[in-house]
Amino acid sequence: MNIDAKYHPTPEQLEGFAQGSLAPGMNVVISAHVELCATCRQSISELEEAASKEWVRSTPDTRASSINFSAMIDSIVDHPQIKSDDTASDNVPEIHMLDHSVTLPRALAKVASDGLVWKQLAGGINQATVTLDDQTQCEFLYMKPGSQVPVHKHQGNEVTLVLDGSFEDELGHYKPADFVVRTAKDLHQPASEEGCLCFAVLDSPLTFTKGLARLLNPFIRYRFRRATSAAAH
Amino acid sequence: MEDVVSGAGSMLMGSLAKSKSVKEPASAPRVSNDVSDSDEQLLIAVGNHQDRAAFNALFSRFSNKIYAMGMKLTRNEQLSHDLVQEAMLTVWQKAPLYDLDRGTAQSWIFTLTRNRCFDILRKMKRQPATVSADDIWPQEGDIDSQLVHEEMGTMEVEVSKIESFYGQLPAAQRAVVEQIYIHDRTHEEAAAVLEIPLGTLKSRLRLGVGKLRQMVGTEV
Repeated sequence: MNIDAKYHPTPEQLEGFAQGSLAPGMNVVISAHVELCATCRQSISELEEAASKEWVRSTPDTRASSINFSAMIDSIVDHPQIKSDDTASDNVPEIHMLDHSVTLPRALAKVASDGLVWKQLAGGINQATVTLDDQTQCEFLYMKPGSQVPVHKHQGNEVTLVLDGSFEDELGHYKPADFVVRTAKDLHQPASEEGCLCFAVLDSPLTFTKGLARLLNPFIRYRFRRATSAAAH
Repeated sequence: MEDVVSGAGSMLMGSLAKSKSVKEPASAPRVSNDVSDSDEQLLIAVGNHQDRAAFNALFSRFSNKIYAMGMKLTRNEQLSHDLVQEAMLTVWQKAPLYDLDRGTAQSWIFTLTRNRCFDILRKMKRQPATVSADDIWPQEGDIDSQLVHEEMGTMEVEVSKIESFYGQLPAAQRAVVEQIYIHDRTHEEAAAVLEIPLGTLKSRLRLGVGKLRQMVGTEV
């Protein structure tokens, strides 16, 4: 699958992905973008070459004493080999929307195969959260045609990968495979004229206020106002 | 220094591309445990004719590196041990799919190991379900849905206010709310930490959360 994306992960995000240093939620969304985007696939394979050199160079050449080599090898070579690059799997490959189905990138199909529970939020937004780790909040979001998310601001970075349809905000119009990064500084108000399915990852550490906000209203993060910092200056 | 290394690598790959096209008779597999064989030669031998000696050589070259990556990313010996097993199994199974266009063998093995690691981390870090927000905040269709509609989209709560509401809770309720919502513990874990019965924990949580919601509700 190749789609010409206009918006891509930052070089730091791609490098972190190649090195395996990101949170699982961030890995999943980058992996899904890379699957769709030939440009980033090329960058990633160069970064992986570099990371693998470093891996081989930096690992001391001692055996892990706990490993019983010959027993492990014996059990491995009993398995048949895979002769063709058949990527068919048990994963749910698509999400069924009201009037059509959307084929998911493999990285997300794996995530969705556990089953999605959709909740209706106000403003024509549907949300299905998935828990991938304890450092990010991940969700599939479906914006009905004509829907609008309230102006929001967040702690940490928010990454949104468009899967189907499109949405727009003050800074651009985003189509499938676009990888939209918003930092804590950005205030934005996404809206979708034609409807949009996306996968969003918010990476902010679990903080005092975030824990309490979850208690009060799971959607309140869209409406956080840091009045204290404004008042201080 | 880096240039010298990659230069040697591409020379090797050039000679390999030729040798790969020469089909070796299946009846007489080449023994490829020579220390001078490149990773690529070994991997191709495993892929072409299930060369066990070549697999052994790859195993001894990479298992400790895979283990080290596992320890770095999972910090868990058992998981790192499993990672060696799973990654080397994938190397064995997918060796026939490797070709030199995919880059060096070490990059190929690194990438598949890292991807296994991603899966392990995902499973490891997925937390048991804590209190669901549904317990506290009604969904559409619930009796209170009118309230939700009114508040959603318009409600703004200042961080400092939430903090002050929280400070107004009786200490016993605050301790429970803190365990569940700030430390993200399950009911059972929180009851154990606070050394109170599960039932007591649940009723304090209900009271504390009710009070907080009430305070927020009167403020907006």
